[in-house]
Amino acid sequence: MELDAFKVAVDAWLDEHERELACDYEGVGTLDQQVAQLRKVMGMAYAAGFMRMGWPERAGGLGGSNLLRAYLGEVLTARDLVEAGIYSLPEVLAPTMIDYAPEALAAEMVPKLLSGDEIWCQGFSEPGTGSNLGSLACRATHTDAGWRINGQKVWTSLAQYAQRCVLLTRTGTPESAHRGITAMFIDMDSPGITVRPIESMHGAEEFCEVFYDDVVVPLDRVLGEVDGGWSIAMDLLPYERSTALWHRASYLHRRLGQLVSAAAAGTLDPTAVGEATQLLWAFRARSRATQRRLAAGETLGSETSIDKVLVATAEQAIFDLVAEGLGPDVATGDDPVSARWRAEFLYSRAATIYGGSAEIQRNIIARRLLGLGDDR
Amino acid sequence: MEASELELFRRGIRHATETCGDEALDAALDELGWRDALVADRNTAVSLLFEAQGSTVVDSSALDWLLAAALGGQDGGRTSVVLPLLRRAAPPGRVSAGRCEVHGLGTRTVARVDETVVVAEADGGPVAFTVKASSLELRPVRGLDPALGIVEVTGDLNAAAGRPVDWEAAASVGQLAVGHELVGLARAMLELARQHALDRVQFGRPISSFQAIRHRLAESLVAVEAADGLLAAAWEDPSPVMAAMAKGLAGRSARAVARHAQQVLAGIGFTTEHPLHRYVRRTIVIDQLLGASSVLTRQLGEDVLERGTLPPTLPL
Repeated sequence: MELDAFKVAVDAWLDEHERELACDYEGVGTLDQQVAQLRKVMGMAYAAGFMRMGWPERAGGLGGSNLLRAYLGEVLTARDLVEAGIYSLPEVLAPTMIDYAPEALAAEMVPKLLSGDEIWCQGFSEPGTGSNLGSLACRATHTDAGWRINGQKVWTSLAQYAQRCVLLTRTGTPESAHRGITAMFIDMDSPGITVRPIESMHGAEEFCEVFYDDVVVPLDRVLGEVDGGWSIAMDLLPYERSTALWHRASYLHRRLGQLVSAAAAGTLDPTAVGEATQLLWAFRARSRATQRRLAAGETLGSETSIDKVLVATAEQAIFDLVAEGLGPDVATGDDPVSARWRAEFLYSRAATIYGGSAEIQRNIIARRLLGLGDDR
Repeated sequence: MEASELELFRRGIRHATETCGDEALDAALDELGWRDALVADRNTAVSLLFEAQGSTVVDSSALDWLLAAALGGQDGGRTSVVLPLLRRAAPPGRVSAGRCEVHGLGTRTVARVDETVVVAEADGGPVAFTVKASSLELRPVRGLDPALGIVEVTGDLNAAAGRPVDWEAAASVGQLAVGHELVGLARAMLELARQHALDRVQFGRPISSFQAIRHRLAESLVAVEAADGLLAAAWEDPSPVMAAMAKGLAGRSARAVARHAQQVLAGIGFTTEHPLHRYVRRTIVIDQLLGASSVLTRQLGEDVLERGTLPPTLPL
């Protein structure tokens, strides 16, 4: 299906099912409510076929361009039916499975993710491994029974809800750095996994610590090559900065629009509003070009770090305005609408930290795009 | 344009801006058929030429030609167009009581051609007059960027023969052109700073290895690409609000890159022995042509706040 026809069909379907699709809670909701809403919307969109479009047929999709996925997430976010951050997790996880899992495993599992039947998580960061992903230590040892995993992950989004995890493990020596990393597909109900949610500043337990104590993973659950996990991580990171960020821009657009209509006269500096608007439009222009390059079959790479820096800059500029124009609501409002502005303002502080910090993105830009060589 | 034709055109523009001085560039552009390209594919003609002009700090009559064409003049390119004073985007003339008072700026082309177009605000909307250049007073401006050859234009004209024009549409195309020139300037300044960072050794290592330098240059590239992407989007969804937004961001980006490049180039960049100063001068002046970035940015914010809604979004 072409993009224009898809837009018409999706919009009509959303209009028709407006009431069933709507959130049944006010304001930001609890994480339980957000996840339940996400699964409901994904399930309905999957049953209607829209959620399968833009994904390859060998993984349960209906084929077609990635632009269809970009639009679906955009419009679901614009209509405030899903929380963009958790909706976009499959944009990173599904391509990893499709590109690196054994074919039968991808065909079996990806539909469970896209239909909202399952939540998956991504086990990358560790307490001692934030920006320096190559230093990760969660150990996987080869045994006859399978890979035996011991270690700890942190910042694992939605681990408490997840049925599966794409996990990066250390299979080489500790000194092997990026050469000794292996990606695996884990069942989260395996014995030995303990999940501890972390309450973060914005009031939700979206991120978790996950402990792996002698967890046994079947040998056929390796994604890609043993010791080849680094290239998987490097391949998927640009995806984290493409379609998912297009969805995020739709969220920022909705919130900036709501801000300028809600803020009392004289509370916002027009120059700052103009700057934030320019930034968001510039990000959308850039991200649209990225979506189109992906649709044309181009491989995304380091240039998507520019997309990431731009969207994070726009998000913080917009929520800095929220803290000005709706300052009293953010500071002292206890109604659901104010609580949501507050939670989202606080969440925006992390925009330059998660998914590769702003500093790491600038390092990538300096080294890969500007050719500035080594930084030591 | 076909891909092969486009590549040839691109190389021709590049070569012309790199080898011709300001005086010879007009003739070179005519030889390349730039004005035909302007009719056939305005986006390509404008974006390629003006970015190339920025990256080499040369100037042509192209802005005059572009505005004259957008104002519907039938002059075969012998005309210049009076620009608003710096910071402003409104027409440089004002009609009242049968007279047209003019106060604006001209490129060096104004002094070279016989006729000039003056657009003025009038009660029924903007009107254009085509007048003898000799009927206007031209004062050469040196200022910050003498090489640009700007003149201050004043005049008091008979307002009888004005024709209605769409000044906003013409100014929008002009804003996009100047936006591309700013992107060209910014890219060139970034490249000067990048090369210097790789060459300059202190503490036994190239300064490009220091994160303070790397992050300034990375920020500069983000600024340039943001502006370039928004300009491209503005061609796709042309409207006065998009053109003003794109030009506003291009000006802010170029000024930011100028600051970063000046700091990275440090001592040598502060001398006239290094070309940076020419780029910095040009940036500060042309950022203010057809609406300064500070003015356009504030205006965008005021409009958004007054209406309580955002401009139309960019569709996928």
